[in-house]
Amino acid sequence: MIQEPTAATPLADRRPPTEAPDAPLGRIVATERRPNTPHEFHFWTALDAAVGIGTIVRVDGDAPVNGIVPRVYGIIVEGFSYTDLQSPLHDVLGFDGSPANAGLAATQRTEIRLYTAHVLRHVPEEPLQPVPMGRVYLAHDEDVNVALRMDGYLAPDRRTAIPVGVYRAGGTESPVYLDADFLLGPEAAHLNVTGVSGLATKTSAVEWLLQSIFAHFPASKGSVAAVLFNVKGPDLCFLDLPGEIGPEDEALYARCEVPATPFDRVEYYAPYKSDNVTLNTLRSNEALLDNVTPLTWGLREVLQYAEVLLNKDDVDAKADALIDFIRERIVDREFHDPALNGGRRYLVRSFADLDAWFRDVIQHLEQKGGESWKTHHVATIRKVRNRLSNISTRCAGLVTDEGTVSDLPFGSFEDRSVYVIDVAALEEDAQDLIFARVVSKLREHLERRDLGVKHVVVFVDELNKYAPGDAPDTYVRKMLLDIAERGRYLGLVLFSAQQFRSQVHRRVVGNSGTSLYGRMDADELATPGYAVLSPATKTKLATLDKGQIMVRHPHFTQPIFVRFPRPAVMRGRDGAERYPQAEALPFEESLLRSLRQLDASLTLQWVQQAVALHDEADILRARNATLRERPADVKAYFRSQLRPVVAPRSVAAPAGARPAPLRPIGDDDPYGF
Amino acid sequence: MTAASRPGALPAFQDVRRRLANLRPGAATASTGILEHATAAPDAPRIVAAQPIEHSSVGARRVTGAPAVGFDAFLDGTQTSRILDFVNGVAVVHGTVAAVIRVRRNRRMATWMQAVEQRLYAPRRALPEAYWDSLESLGLEVVDTSDDPPAGGGSPAHPFTLRDGAVNRVGRDRERLEVRLAERWCGVEKGMLFIDGGISGSERVSSAGCTVGVVKSHRTLYVEGDALTRVLALEAGERSTVLRIAPPKRHAVASWYLRLRDPAGHDPMWGLVRVETADLPVADRAAITERADLLSRWILAEAAPLALPDGRWDKMVYGIRDCEEFLRAVAG
Repeated sequence: MIQEPTAATPLADRRPPTEAPDAPLGRIVATERRPNTPHEFHFWTALDAAVGIGTIVRVDGDAPVNGIVPRVYGIIVEGFSYTDLQSPLHDVLGFDGSPANAGLAATQRTEIRLYTAHVLRHVPEEPLQPVPMGRVYLAHDEDVNVALRMDGYLAPDRRTAIPVGVYRAGGTESPVYLDADFLLGPEAAHLNVTGVSGLATKTSAVEWLLQSIFAHFPASKGSVAAVLFNVKGPDLCFLDLPGEIGPEDEALYARCEVPATPFDRVEYYAPYKSDNVTLNTLRSNEALLDNVTPLTWGLREVLQYAEVLLNKDDVDAKADALIDFIRERIVDREFHDPALNGGRRYLVRSFADLDAWFRDVIQHLEQKGGESWKTHHVATIRKVRNRLSNISTRCAGLVTDEGTVSDLPFGSFEDRSVYVIDVAALEEDAQDLIFARVVSKLREHLERRDLGVKHVVVFVDELNKYAPGDAPDTYVRKMLLDIAERGRYLGLVLFSAQQFRSQVHRRVVGNSGTSLYGRMDADELATPGYAVLSPATKTKLATLDKGQIMVRHPHFTQPIFVRFPRPAVMRGRDGAERYPQAEALPFEESLLRSLRQLDASLTLQWVQQAVALHDEADILRARNATLRERPADVKAYFRSQLRPVVAPRSVAAPAGARPAPLRPIGDDDPYGF
Repeated sequence: MTAASRPGALPAFQDVRRRLANLRPGAATASTGILEHATAAPDAPRIVAAQPIEHSSVGARRVTGAPAVGFDAFLDGTQTSRILDFVNGVAVVHGTVAAVIRVRRNRRMATWMQAVEQRLYAPRRALPEAYWDSLESLGLEVVDTSDDPPAGGGSPAHPFTLRDGAVNRVGRDRERLEVRLAERWCGVEKGMLFIDGGISGSERVSSAGCTVGVVKSHRTLYVEGDALTRVLALEAGERSTVLRIAPPKRHAVASWYLRLRDPAGHDPMWGLVRVETADLPVADRAAITERADLLSRWILAEAAPLALPDGRWDKMVYGIRDCEEFLRAVAG
């Protein structure tokens, strides 16, 4: 039989046929050397087929199995291209050694595009067989849903889908969803983002995903809030302000049904600088201070986490026993020892109180000549006093001597709210202390179910630093491990990010149910953790554009590449330029700026008059109390918090008590004897 | 009946053997390779003098002008013969012939038309009647080679003679199939068709202006004496004077020799092809020269890319190799 010409019209009048929308993209091929398996298959396509690494395809088998035509979904992980050329030398000979001659060749060699795909899903799932011969189609919306097993949680009656981005290939755009049960618990939880710095991937991805969670987290699953630790620069300092996004980003927002708006409710927390007057944050511009709250803790808050600040060399068993004693018996309790300072009754509530107590204990031991007090050796007491007293110095601005507390609203967290704690400018000790205490408090409240929300996402960047894989164990790392391993039962979800995933503790990243990968460094990709990825996938990872990420999720049997929009919030750099950090001001002016958040009518003159006779510690205490209470009458309240000042008065010399005049000195007696 | 259908639906040789074995237990057990590789004593080399029509004598002439792309399509055919069975020492041959026209679009090759046919070849008089009936029931056309002239002049009853005769018949069927495709091209298309081999077998093809045959084998030479010496001394990019070739039982064509590649260090036939095109009127010699130069430039333009690793790459153009690869894929 002669197969007819491809068209009835003469060749000269013929145009390339337009492919039908449902035309196959390729055909499955299998050879003995390169067979198909249940998890991998190969197919070829036309040279101009719109496929590439990461494209999802559907295979329709040629023959039914058990009466059902098998359908297999896969994702392209490798691509090959070659011609019938057997040796490069043949090409050299063919063009007389001149590449320029190649352009004159009448015919291009026969060429193939051969792709390898990893199986995402078999339908039906049983019997699990090698991928059959058949036609290959580009996956469309419905195919993508089935291929990634999203159909299970996209059903209207049990929808728990959270859009993570849009999968694009060959003109198709399909939203890709994560399962909330596997992102925020209880089935699995936690998210880890990795990628090189400077491409706005890690922070942007988390901001976008939080927007998506807030928009799509089903009401039936309860409430959700986020606590973000801003550990560097102004990255998270302007989440409540709109950012610039382009039409393409808007289209992505629309496709994912997420409003392209900044976060509705954002509260910022930052300690003071060491002057205890200026907030230690890049969000200190006066125009933005209305939702910035100082973060200050006193002795009680810090002592509970003393081991965060005291390393193992500091805290041996003896020191630990004394700290426990102080925590249990001294702090916030009335303490009385007849031997101390004449039987003085102590009520230790601040570092200043504690130091006074220490001073009396040591003085007692010195006077008595003893070596121990209540079984605690004097050397241990001196050492613990030294270390604890030092905390308020090391964490100045966060820890106050006088015990003032200004904290996150534990117990009254609000649904879909973001609480940003800016620790970017703090010393490492202070950062660790804040992290340890905040996370511990979150856990405590979640265990008691009285936090105010059912789920809390905690975002920590620079996980390389806080949970390294090969560094000595620290309190913070232990806490991160604890969240990663047990947080999902409580609703405490860790969103973490780092540049080098391979350097993070394996149990932290291993317990992250979902992982996002931005552009990766080639050295990082060469580490064993990425051995499961094909060379082509690694190449794609190393060249990802801004806004592109690779997603691994428990429902996806293979990593998927998606594109996400730029977060609709002001970028840190833009915010820092538009709202520059407040300049350091004289004390009264700084005070005025703080109080003006509560009462805009306050003037510098009023402040100067109000604090004229008071010392700085007293003024700060009054300011802190006012900021904490947020009273209706700021002036009155502030004045009431200042200690009363007794007016100076002249003292008359007592009558009849005049001292005797000095004896006159004789001229011949130079020594006065 | 000729068994031919879409390439993917053709019964494989092993299927035909299996079916015959089912019909005649014990049959189709012989195992042989492809006969074209093992047999076919080639035709004896011949020299047939032809008449020059461009000039009075045969000489060498450099092709004027740079190589240029002129061909729109390429035609080639293949044949494969295998022993299906031996009956009383006589071979029953299974033959597959295929041909294809591959067109060039945007410098890439695509199929314009293809054909694949399968037949069985055997001398009916040498087979039991029942066996012949079995062959006919296999669903393939069975060709009786009883009356074919002995191949190579051998003894008619010699099994090898019979076998080679069958292979020759397969070859003729291939030629016929190629001619059918070429005639179809000439009826539909206006572009130039490059045919692997001569074109004198078909009146329509040999007289059409849209076909050019390029012959790689030189078992028959159409020049002799000094003319032969001059042809064998052609340098790369040179051609011979145009001749008129009119073989018996074939149609007259204009023909000339053309050297595609520098033969230095090779045998005298290396890179030498013979071009056949429609016969040209002797009266207009300038037109003959112009036509021969134009077609020669087109053929020289096909010298790259190389047809390697094919052993005939010095004479084979890439478009023909592409046809052969295509036929190897669809017809085995």
